[in-house]
Amino acid sequence: MRPRTAPGLFASVTLVAATIAQGPPANGPARADAGWFALTGARVVTAPGQVLERATLVVRDGRIAALGDAAPPAGATLVDCSGLTIYPGLVEPFYASDVPALDATTDDQHWSPMLQPQRDARDGGLVAAADRAALRGLGFTTVACAPAGGILKGTATVVALDEPTPVSKPRIVLPRAYAVASLQRSRDGYPGSEMGAIALLRQTLLDGQWYERCQLAVAADPTLAASAPQPSAALQALVDTRQLPLWLDSEDELQALRLLRVAAEMGLRPVVIGSGMEFRRLDALAARQAPIVVPLLFPDAPDVATAAKAEAVSLRQLQTWEQAPTNSKRLLDAGVVVAWTTARQRDRKDFPAAVRKAIACGVSHDQALACLTTVPAELLGIADRAGTINVGRPADLVVVDGELFAAKATIREVWVGGVRHGLHAAREPRFDGAFRWVDGWPATTAAPTLTIDGDRLTAKCGDDSLQVADVARDLDALTFRLAGKPLGDVHGIWLRLRVRGDGLAGSATTTAGATSDVTFARGEAPAAKPTEDDEDFVPPALTPLPTPLGGYGAVEPSTAMEFAIVGATLWTSDGRGVLRNGAVVVRDGRIVFAGAKSEMPALGPSTAVIDGEGKHVTPGLIDCHSHTGISRGVNEGGQAVTAEVRVQDVLNPDDVNWYRQLAGGVTTVNQLHGSANTIGGQSCTTKVRYYVHDPEAMHFAGAPAGIKFALGENPRGANDRGPTTRYPATRMGVEALLRDRFVAAERYRREVASYDALPPKQRALTLPPRRDLELEALAEVLAGSRRIHCHSYRQDEIFMLCGLVQEYGIKVGTFQHCLEGYKVADAIRRAALGASSFSDWWAYKFEVYDAIPDNGAIMHEAGVVVSFNSDSDELARRLNTEAGKAVKYGGLAPWEALDFVTRNPALQLGIFERTGSLTAGKDADVVLWSGDPLSYAARCEATWVDGVPQFSLARDAELRAGIRQERTRLLQQALAAGGKGRKAKPMDPKDAYWAAEDDTGAYCCRTAEDAR
Amino acid sequence: MNHPARSCRRRAAFATTLLLTAAVPAQDLLTKAAPQTAPILLHNGVLHTVSGGVVLGGSLWLENGRIRAVLAAGEQPSPPLGDDAIVIDLQGKHVYPGLISAHTSLGLVEIGAVRQTVDTSELGELTPEAIAAVAVNPDSAAIPVARANGVLVAATFPSGGLLPGRASVIQLDGWTNADMTVRSEAGPVVAWPQQRHGDGLRRGRRGPASGDDDAGDAVAKQRQRIDLAFTAARAWLDARSADAAVPIDIRHAALVPALRGEVPVFVLADELEQIESAVAWAARRQLRVVIVGGRDAAACATLLRERDVPVIVDGVHELPRREDSAYDEPFTLPARLADAGLRFCIATGQDFSFDRNLPYHAATAAAFGLDRERALAAITLDAARILGVGDRLGSLEAGKDATLLVTDGDPLELPTRVELAFVGGRQVTLRSKQSELAKKYRERYRQQRGR
Repeated sequence: MRPRTAPGLFASVTLVAATIAQGPPANGPARADAGWFALTGARVVTAPGQVLERATLVVRDGRIAALGDAAPPAGATLVDCSGLTIYPGLVEPFYASDVPALDATTDDQHWSPMLQPQRDARDGGLVAAADRAALRGLGFTTVACAPAGGILKGTATVVALDEPTPVSKPRIVLPRAYAVASLQRSRDGYPGSEMGAIALLRQTLLDGQWYERCQLAVAADPTLAASAPQPSAALQALVDTRQLPLWLDSEDELQALRLLRVAAEMGLRPVVIGSGMEFRRLDALAARQAPIVVPLLFPDAPDVATAAKAEAVSLRQLQTWEQAPTNSKRLLDAGVVVAWTTARQRDRKDFPAAVRKAIACGVSHDQALACLTTVPAELLGIADRAGTINVGRPADLVVVDGELFAAKATIREVWVGGVRHGLHAAREPRFDGAFRWVDGWPATTAAPTLTIDGDRLTAKCGDDSLQVADVARDLDALTFRLAGKPLGDVHGIWLRLRVRGDGLAGSATTTAGATSDVTFARGEAPAAKPTEDDEDFVPPALTPLPTPLGGYGAVEPSTAMEFAIVGATLWTSDGRGVLRNGAVVVRDGRIVFAGAKSEMPALGPSTAVIDGEGKHVTPGLIDCHSHTGISRGVNEGGQAVTAEVRVQDVLNPDDVNWYRQLAGGVTTVNQLHGSANTIGGQSCTTKVRYYVHDPEAMHFAGAPAGIKFALGENPRGANDRGPTTRYPATRMGVEALLRDRFVAAERYRREVASYDALPPKQRALTLPPRRDLELEALAEVLAGSRRIHCHSYRQDEIFMLCGLVQEYGIKVGTFQHCLEGYKVADAIRRAALGASSFSDWWAYKFEVYDAIPDNGAIMHEAGVVVSFNSDSDELARRLNTEAGKAVKYGGLAPWEALDFVTRNPALQLGIFERTGSLTAGKDADVVLWSGDPLSYAARCEATWVDGVPQFSLARDAELRAGIRQERTRLLQQALAAGGKGRKAKPMDPKDAYWAAEDDTGAYCCRTAEDAR
Repeated sequence: MNHPARSCRRRAAFATTLLLTAAVPAQDLLTKAAPQTAPILLHNGVLHTVSGGVVLGGSLWLENGRIRAVLAAGEQPSPPLGDDAIVIDLQGKHVYPGLISAHTSLGLVEIGAVRQTVDTSELGELTPEAIAAVAVNPDSAAIPVARANGVLVAATFPSGGLLPGRASVIQLDGWTNADMTVRSEAGPVVAWPQQRHGDGLRRGRRGPASGDDDAGDAVAKQRQRIDLAFTAARAWLDARSADAAVPIDIRHAALVPALRGEVPVFVLADELEQIESAVAWAARRQLRVVIVGGRDAAACATLLRERDVPVIVDGVHELPRREDSAYDEPFTLPARLADAGLRFCIATGQDFSFDRNLPYHAATAAAFGLDRERALAAITLDAARILGVGDRLGSLEAGKDATLLVTDGDPLELPTRVELAFVGGRQVTLRSKQSELAKKYRERYRQQRGR
């Protein structure tokens, strides 16, 4: 019984008259089907939790005309729904539909093809034909179509899942429901990174606001029209859609948070289109209180076919695989408004099974129904016309044999606007049931018993099954062929049966040509079907998950410890040098005492005392050049100047390298943009608070702003393969570009200042300057409120920037790398707050051929504030011994050398008031070492950030044991899942889940080769 | 600072050596050391022999480029030294055998990103005919830089492809590469292909990723190609042994010492399956093998012990292999190998610019569980033995090359300075391009202050 959409199944009975009137002339007589139905005897679920038993639902002219226990009206076609349940049609809130890209050559387009907010889903094909059938097959009747592709994609249209005909278009439920944004990256241009995409989104939304303000100004003073901004369809669309919610199409949970940050800045009403991975940052997302449209897309079991493959799977991947089905349950429990979407399903056929998994994890049936009806309707602003069954609404109905979410449920019919779409319709007459043979059989063998259940027909002789083939039915007859051993030498018997009374009657013919009339009588109901595949799904326990998810996360949020380390050697980094037999006391996240043990204040009873005998304590180490934990691209290399991009937008708190660096005593880092362009993005001073739930809590609040500049080979593209096509190609061009942007920023600053100085009344009559995030950041540089961290190697380029900033009366924050800094240390001392260098890297490219390990010491001797940094996830774990190299090369005192990774980077980053030394009143960023921290023999034993324990050898040992245990448990599960005939598919690295694991893209500070 | 005093019978030789050069630009312009012409007695030092414990107040008698004798405290050379001998009072300083960087590209690369200066990779996947020593640039500025921190010997490796050539052991002083070569053919290098899985090692190009189509097949084919090179060489050797008219094929000839077991095959392998399959292959082909990398070697210790396969740990300062790995996994690798009873030595990884940090890789291994004496051996004698030069280098023993250094302390500690170094009895300068640049620019600020 294969054919599910046989001709005649779609009883296209009614069309809304208004649609006909607007359409082309009919090709033939006009149709006037009655369109008047009474669905009787059904159980009607009108809304989640609201049920009418044995009700009659009257449909007329596409709408629900009546609902209740009144008798069906005379004249209505009766549809017997006894034993069936009627649900409201499901609402799909997000369907990515193809809308043609706009002609980029016209003047009123945005320069970036990623920005086409003026696109409208109605300009495209809406729901593709195959998807219409697939969605209806799942019970959907209403779909919001959103244009696919780009960063600002356009507006979504809600349509009914009608089958359009030559004379009718799909019913538009709501022409413009929401606008859609994503963080799509360009393959070969700007933005090539996630932070670039965020910057472009932010700038464009601001442009929309500015465009509107200009319009208001022109309205107030029409003479301004001449100098008003050029007409822009893109910006006009932003003005026009300002009142619509902005739906944020996210690739993972961190991206969702990032998009929500932008929406909050712009005062927009956001709805997140999720990834299914929200449970990994549950608390942070729940705190944002934005509704989330959740896909029910659960990863396949990881491929653990070999020991090597199993080893390559991380605990985080295993946990993600295990816990993904609990996502909705966890979100709902956290109070998040959840709607479901099929949008990211690899195959929509998997959706019902996924729903059942979510329900198995604890989502109630009512919640599930709400996720598919009332909630999406509410989010789309169509709750008055979709999502529930109410008299007067379009007849969007799902008729189900069974509970909608049960494994065995069959959707019989879907009604869209009163039009009936049969799916697995129990067609009249009904053949279902168990039948025993009564009379007539053309062969000498025993006759069979038949069991018919919808599409499935089984036949048995006694306990032996027969082969059933070529099952077909026409209007009144069921035909099929039986074969098999129990039929003896008869290879096949053809049967043609019709309903007669309560049984079946017809004829049977053998291959030998013998034909008999046969009759079957209704017998015992068939035994329950064996359980289906997905019903052996065992939902995982809903225990709290660690943050970050993975082996080194913590379930309980860690709090600041009250403790004292007594008897240790203190490396104060605050001018007091190294104190033997000292003590450090920490309370409420601050150092309350750091000094001689003999002067230590009395400790309270709640203070944990750590014996520091023979040990050393240093301030938390500071890495002044880090690219750790930056999602999807360290460089925005799409343009030569990208001052508008912000590393802080893409901080990745899940990077396990944070933990590894804590194990090396690092507590604060300067997260820098890469060096692919002359003016790179804004940097982020970050505290390594590994266990916080909200990534933004890692930002070092109050730290001065920074920005990356880059000189020399990298911004020239000198080490790239292929020809250089982007300006600048020489160090001359680098200087010229910097100068050009400084000039522009200066002009911008003046424009903004003069506008801001206007009295409010006059301001309303003046065209406002466009807020330019690139120039704004550079204006901050010129105002001295944003520190330049400049990638540099050769003395000439260093000297050049020293001169240029002096012309503007400002200082460079740090020269980064600065490997020839020793040649021009005097210029650096005058023009920069400091230099942050490698201890001993050299020879990896031409411009570092003159690098020497005495560089730090020589600059230090010349009065430069010097730090040593890592620029490497690996080296960052050993900053203490990097500092030790300043003793080896240049003969600094050990305490001076340690300053290279404590006090000095703190000064360079403007955070020495808060961290970088063991001084009472400062943040309790403290590291306990087993010995002299400048020696390779020392091990970091414990690290605190703000007094919160972040690492200790004891806890590390516990974590390792925990990882072994959890991995064992989950690998066994993965093996079991892979061993049940469901072939474990290797995880697709392009899959959104795993794309979340970072790929840090192009080169940062060494060369292109290194990064690969 | 307390430099060893030269209470010499002849002083002049050293002074001239050290005065010859001033500016040192893009290459090493320092004069090479003169051959040892007179006996040298390094007197009154702490001799860290590596092979025979520590001799307090001992003396080293160097003659004709070799260690003639290790003398205990108070022991006098016998026969007594002649008048031409140079006696250096070490005043209790420490003497160590020259450190050996067992896996590097030193001499083959001048500047990583400048293609014209990179001589590591010959065209083709299988190029056993290539010999590293042939392309070592004696005037590479990187050589004196490594030497200044006590690295006096290096095994420099060709790289890229499946069988990129033969590694060579060089000493870090010499007018020509012939002067520098200790062992031209230390052994062929094989990059054993391995399927990469998930978030595993990102370094190296040792095989296609598991996401690639037919990655397993590709790996098997690459392994077969390596095997075929050795099979063909064996066939050629048999044929030519039987019939001298068989023409010479330098590719096959290049593998003959390895086929005869005279040299090991250096197999780059980190992962368990990779190591196991490489060792099995070598056993079948009756090859001696040294594993370079060996991140998983402790997991197949029994196999490696049985077949006496040593490991060159390719850098201790590395990231853990997997997200879930312990943070100190690479730091504890040498200790784990030691506990498993394996022979191993420690290298810095192929990037030559980090060779000078060799003692610190050993020091980190020591901080994370490796016995300190064993850590020293891992960058001296154990390295020499694994590289096939244990008879000449790696320890302070009579008869070995006089390749050694004098320090003011433990070389595994950062502040320790190398004060004197000898390569084959020649006292080499510890200056370098870098020390000269430091001096030059310190002079700039001295001039400024003088104004």
